[in-house]
Amino acid sequence: MTSMADNKPMQKTASKFMRLLAFIGKHFNDWASEIGGLCLLTWQIFLNLLPWRWQFDGPETWRNLYQVGVKSFPIVVVTAILTGAIMVIQSGLYIEQYGAYGLLGWGAGYTILREIGPILIGLMFSGRVGANNTAELGTMKVTDQIDALRALAIDPIGYLVMPRFLAMVIMLFLLVVIGDFTALIGGAITSQFLLGVNMKLFAASVIAYVTLDDLFHGLIKAFIFGCAIAVISCHFGLSTKGGAVGVGRAVNASVVGSAIAIFLIDYLIAFIIN
Amino acid sequence: MSANPSSTIETNSEPAPDSRFRNLLASFGAPFLEIGRTVLGIAEVFRLTLYYLVRGRKRWSAILEQMHDVGNRSVIFITVTLGFLGMILIYQAGNQALRITGDLQMLGGLFLQLLLREFAPTIAAMMIATRVATGMAAQIGSMVVTEQVDALQMCAAQPVDYLVVPRFIATTIMMVILTIYAAFVSYIAGAITAYLSFGLNVRTFIDLSFIGWFDINIGLAKALAYGMAIPIIACHAGLNVFGGSEGVGRATTQAVVNASLAVVILDFIISGLGYVIQSIF
Amino acid sequence: MIVVENICKTHLGRPVLENVSLTIEEGTNLGLIGPGGAGKTLLLKIICGLVKPDSGTVTINGVDIHKLSATELAELRFQIGMLFQNYALFDFMNVFDNIAFPLRQEGKLSEDDIEKLVRKALLDISLPKIGDRFPNELSGGMKKRVSFARAIIRQPPILFYDDPTAGLDPVTSSKIYLLLRAMQQERGTTAVTISHDIDGIKDICDVFCMIDRGQIIFHGDRNAIERCEIPLVMQFWRGFSDDDLDG
Repeated sequence: MTSMADNKPMQKTASKFMRLLAFIGKHFNDWASEIGGLCLLTWQIFLNLLPWRWQFDGPETWRNLYQVGVKSFPIVVVTAILTGAIMVIQSGLYIEQYGAYGLLGWGAGYTILREIGPILIGLMFSGRVGANNTAELGTMKVTDQIDALRALAIDPIGYLVMPRFLAMVIMLFLLVVIGDFTALIGGAITSQFLLGVNMKLFAASVIAYVTLDDLFHGLIKAFIFGCAIAVISCHFGLSTKGGAVGVGRAVNASVVGSAIAIFLIDYLIAFIIN
Repeated sequence: MSANPSSTIETNSEPAPDSRFRNLLASFGAPFLEIGRTVLGIAEVFRLTLYYLVRGRKRWSAILEQMHDVGNRSVIFITVTLGFLGMILIYQAGNQALRITGDLQMLGGLFLQLLLREFAPTIAAMMIATRVATGMAAQIGSMVVTEQVDALQMCAAQPVDYLVVPRFIATTIMMVILTIYAAFVSYIAGAITAYLSFGLNVRTFIDLSFIGWFDINIGLAKALAYGMAIPIIACHAGLNVFGGSEGVGRATTQAVVNASLAVVILDFIISGLGYVIQSIF
Repeated sequence: MIVVENICKTHLGRPVLENVSLTIEEGTNLGLIGPGGAGKTLLLKIICGLVKPDSGTVTINGVDIHKLSATELAELRFQIGMLFQNYALFDFMNVFDNIAFPLRQEGKLSEDDIEKLVRKALLDISLPKIGDRFPNELSGGMKKRVSFARAIIRQPPILFYDDPTAGLDPVTSSKIYLLLRAMQQERGTTAVTISHDIDGIKDICDVFCMIDRGQIIFHGDRNAIERCEIPLVMQFWRGFSDDDLDG
């Protein structure tokens, strides 16, 4: 106590700079350790996926496929319908201005299939499934269940991570397929009833201008988003510490990480593919 | 039993299909009941928030603290995500425009208009819904689990007044500010992308001739609506936690899902209204 | 005087409290004992109005607390202090602000007076130097004592203690009991104490009440409980089982 009081003035100038350094260093360290952890987990998942080491728990995978797919189905459908509607309204404002009603399907379809569909469904999925997954694994971690698994000689990667990874990748892909089509249906309905543009014209415009490439572009994204969300949510779940507060913090980190990953990957894919 | 054979048959053989039918009905009805309960709960929290907003004491230090939490700590997140969004949208739109019309003159102006109307408020709100809503639900949820909310009540403080109102005010204000910031960041990222990828002059890109008061108003209306909805939904999820760390996890998931859904639904409603208003005038 | 009448409460379709009636006289300390999961904490939360019962009434000094509005209930709570099982210290405030919180909420005293009272309270729990520390930097026993200080800072006539010594070592427990007894003797508060530590509360409680599976199976003073013939009560009171009673 006394020594601290003695060199106070010196400390004051030094401490401001030191605190800044410590702040930067701490954050840098945190980020580095998270990225390192993500890479390690990706590597372990990759090893488990190799044909000669193909290792995951069958029944758990089925259970997860059900949980991930069926439980997020309603929310994806609702999001997709509304997204389709919103995109039609937004393009409608321009279409009306220029009277180019034949382009409505193109404007809405292109943005939905390529960008907004995968991004919004991916964000929803990361909220519904990724957050849930982090919370589940985090609770297991803080209640020592993961250590209990290890004590029973069960590999947590094979038993917990692999089924979730597979379920999330497969299901996000399928959900984006479903979501794309429900979004187009939502768009068609909106164009009929709000804009007064005939559904047939909308459909014809989609078929004429939207290419299969646009659909595949979105689906590739969906696949990679699925991998990213799965790895990120499992990583933050497994590195939870500190009781109920820690679980909340882990979920927060997981959804933030997933959102950043979604936008980053989206950009990289758009850049690489074109 | 033997005196009344028909009733025996009824009680023995009928229940199987009947209860199966009941189960079917119940499984259809349960989600709707759940949705109804959640909506009512959120409405109740909203009512109480408005009540204490008018009646309660204003705790400026708490509001400022929350504003820091919601706003300052989201800046990097918003910069990264919305920056990438601007780059992606311009990249894709530029490619399409080159393919179809070969003219990029209107790219910047139209992009700014679309950004203000749709992407800046909505995507920024989705980001806030993930970062802030999970944070609020987790924080309030763990306070419920550790009996701190009970303790607040025993100290004669109302949880809604003490916890929700500052978050509500802070998020509403910061949402508007962050939306403006998001549009700014996205637009700059878009301008840089247009310059680097298509060689489009930044002066040509910055084109304010398309936007009018309608675009600005609709963007601000969206930001306000999201800013009010997100904290209420997040706090509702947090206040209704039961059962230890598992409950906190469930609440955070619920918060982000409900908040994101609310953003999409409000987006639809406000965009639809905006369209109707614009076609009338 | 606190009168509890015919309280029933179900949780997730399972009855937790069935027809619980209880009277707590002015100035007495009621010891609430019973096996884990019997509904003690829930009963306490119903008595102080944190949980609404499915049916039944709780009257504190002639007022039915479950009929009060939120503001009236808050008003009544100025009369009540509560020590929570898991400390329930606000983790976003330091110790000083935690203890000062009830006073600031009441809004009657000036900041100087509050500071004086809190300093005295910290001295009373013999932790005078921890005012600017945060709850997560304290040990369990220190948190319990801070929580105790927060509960009594308004000098309420009614106090509820939910397991004041759970998870504490014997030395800290006896410190807490000393504080509790001092409180009782100085101010003559009405209190309810939940505890699993029978030896500890033997001397601080005047009346005992035992709950098992949501029902009161014993209610009486110390003489009565010592002479009580109900097997579960005997087992609990003396801390051993003479015959097979589990289950």
